[in-house]
Amino acid sequence: MQFRLFFRKEMLEMGRSYKWLWVPLVFLMLGVMQPIVTRFMPEILKSAGNMPKGMTISIEPPSGAEVLAQTLGQYSSVGLLILVLSFMTIISGERQSGVSQMIFSKPVSYGSYTAAKWASMLSLITVSFALGYAGAWYYTVQMIGSVDAGAAVKAGLFYLLWLWFAGSLTLFMSSLINPAAGIAFVSLGAALLLSMASGWLPRYTAWSPGSLPQISAEWLQSSGEAKGAAGAAVLCLVCMAILFTGTIYQVKLKKSKI
Amino acid sequence: MTRPLLQVKGLTKRFKEREVVKGISFSVAEGSCAALLGPNGAGKTTTISMLAGLLQPSGGSIELLVNGSPVPDRRPYIGYLPQTPVFYPWMTGKEFLLYAGELAGLKSREAALETAEWLEDVGLKDAGKRKIGGYSGGMKQRLGLAQALIHRPKLLILDEPVSALDPSGRKDVLSLLQRIRQETTVLFSTHVLHDAEEICDEILMIREGEIALAGSLDHIRRTYSEPVIRLEVGGDEASRAWLAAVGSKDFVSQAETSGGRAKLTVTDVELASLALMADAVAHRVMIRSLEAGQSTLEDLFLKVVQS
Repeated sequence: MQFRLFFRKEMLEMGRSYKWLWVPLVFLMLGVMQPIVTRFMPEILKSAGNMPKGMTISIEPPSGAEVLAQTLGQYSSVGLLILVLSFMTIISGERQSGVSQMIFSKPVSYGSYTAAKWASMLSLITVSFALGYAGAWYYTVQMIGSVDAGAAVKAGLFYLLWLWFAGSLTLFMSSLINPAAGIAFVSLGAALLLSMASGWLPRYTAWSPGSLPQISAEWLQSSGEAKGAAGAAVLCLVCMAILFTGTIYQVKLKKSKI
Repeated sequence: MTRPLLQVKGLTKRFKEREVVKGISFSVAEGSCAALLGPNGAGKTTTISMLAGLLQPSGGSIELLVNGSPVPDRRPYIGYLPQTPVFYPWMTGKEFLLYAGELAGLKSREAALETAEWLEDVGLKDAGKRKIGGYSGGMKQRLGLAQALIHRPKLLILDEPVSALDPSGRKDVLSLLQRIRQETTVLFSTHVLHDAEEICDEILMIREGEIALAGSLDHIRRTYSEPVIRLEVGGDEASRAWLAAVGSKDFVSQAETSGGRAKLTVTDVELASLALMADAVAHRVMIRSLEAGQSTLEDLFLKVVQS
C-alpha cells in the first residue's frame, strides 16, 4: 500500500526534475557515440589537418563485438558517474532538508520507503541502460558489423546487474552519511576499486561484483563461456540484498538530522 | 476531561558526553493545551523530537494513552509540525496534503475530502494549486499545520510554531490554534511567553534539560505572582537619588533600578504606593508614572531562567 504511494511520489519527482529525460538521453548518447566515432575515425583524423604530408594511417576495422564492448567501457566511467551523481542525495537530501521529519512522524513503514526509492532507481537505471545499449547495438550493426545476438543480450544483462549494484551502493551510502560529496566519492571510489581489483587480482575476485563488467566484455569478444559468471551474478544479488537491508536499517536509525 | 493523554517518565537524551534532556517527567491531560517553555538551548526541540518519535530516547518512557491504555505505536495518533517545515518544492500544496493524508493511513477518497477541507481551513484554497517552492513562510507554516492535522490526531505536537513568523502570520497561526484546541490536545514549544499565555492552560518550563516549573497557568499565576510597583521619575539628580534610596524602605522586598525607572517588589501594593507618593511629595520629587500591579509571567520566566 505505502510502497505504491512512495513509488508514485519518487516517479513524479524524477519526472518533474527531468531525470527521466536527461539520464536516458545521456545514456543513449554515450551508447550511440562509440560506433559512430569508430566508424568515422579515419575521416576525423584526415580532417584534423595537422598531419604531416604523405603520412598514411591504416586502422584495422574493429569487429562489432569489440565496439559494443568499448561502449560498455564508456558506461563504466561516464555512465557510472552520471548514475552516482543523480542518485547520491536520494535519501540524504530528504534528511538534510527536513522533509523526512514530517514523513517519519507519520505511521510509515521504513521498508516501503526504502524499497520505493530502490525500485524507482533501478527502473531508471534499467530503462536508461536498455535504451543506450539498444542504440549502441543498432548503430554497431548498421555501421560496423554484426554482433552475436545471444552474447550481446547476455553481456547486457550482466552489465545491467553491475549498474544495479553500483546504484544499491549509492543508495546505501546516501542513507549512511549526509554530505553529497562524500556519498559520491565513496560510492564511485568503491565501485572503481572493485572493478580495478578484478583486473589486478583475478584469482581472488573471480566472483566479485566488480568482475561483472569484465565478464560482459569477455562474453562479447570471445564467444566462449566466461569463467565465474554465475557465481559473480549470484554474489552480486546477495550483496545488493545486504546493501538494501542495511539501507532500511540506516533509514530507521537516522530519521532526521537532529 | 482530566484523563492523561501523554505520560512522560524520566525522559533522558544524551549526545555523546552531553546530557541535553535530564530525566524529565510530565503528563498532558486530554483536551488541554500545554506549552513547553524555555530559553534557546534548553532542550525543547530535543524533547519534542523524542515525543514525535524522530529521536530515540537514551532513557525513560513515553506513553500515549488512547481510551485509557497505552498504545504500542503512537505515530497514528499524533500530528507533528517541525520547527521550520520543509516540503517538496516541486509538489503543489494540494498534492502534498493528499500525500501526507495517504501516508497517515487515509483512503484516497478520504484524503481528498480532508485535503479540500483543510486547504479551506488554513486559507490556502487558491494557493493549493501552486508549487510549494513559491510559498511564503507563513503559508508553509499553515500548510504544515494542515498536514499535521489531516488524519485528525489525538495529540498535536508543534515545535516553535510562530517564532519565525511576522506579526500577521503569527496572528493567523495563533487563531488557527485557538480553533484547533477545541478538538485536539495540543503540546507546543516556544520561547515567546506571550503566545503561551494566549492559548495555553498548562505550562512546563524547562531549563538546561530539567523541568524548572510545571502546572496550570492559573495556578502558577496565583502562586508565583507578586505585588509589584513600577515607578518612573524625572531625570534630575535629586529624583535619581530619591529613587535609589526608595529601594531600601522596609516595605520593599526587592528593587531593580535602571536610569529613571524602578521595579519594586513590595509586600502590600496599596500601602506601598501611598507611602511612596507621600515620600515623593515630601522630597519634592516629580513622579512621571506609577503603576501598581502583579508580576507577569515574563518576570517569573526570567527569574526561573536566571536563577
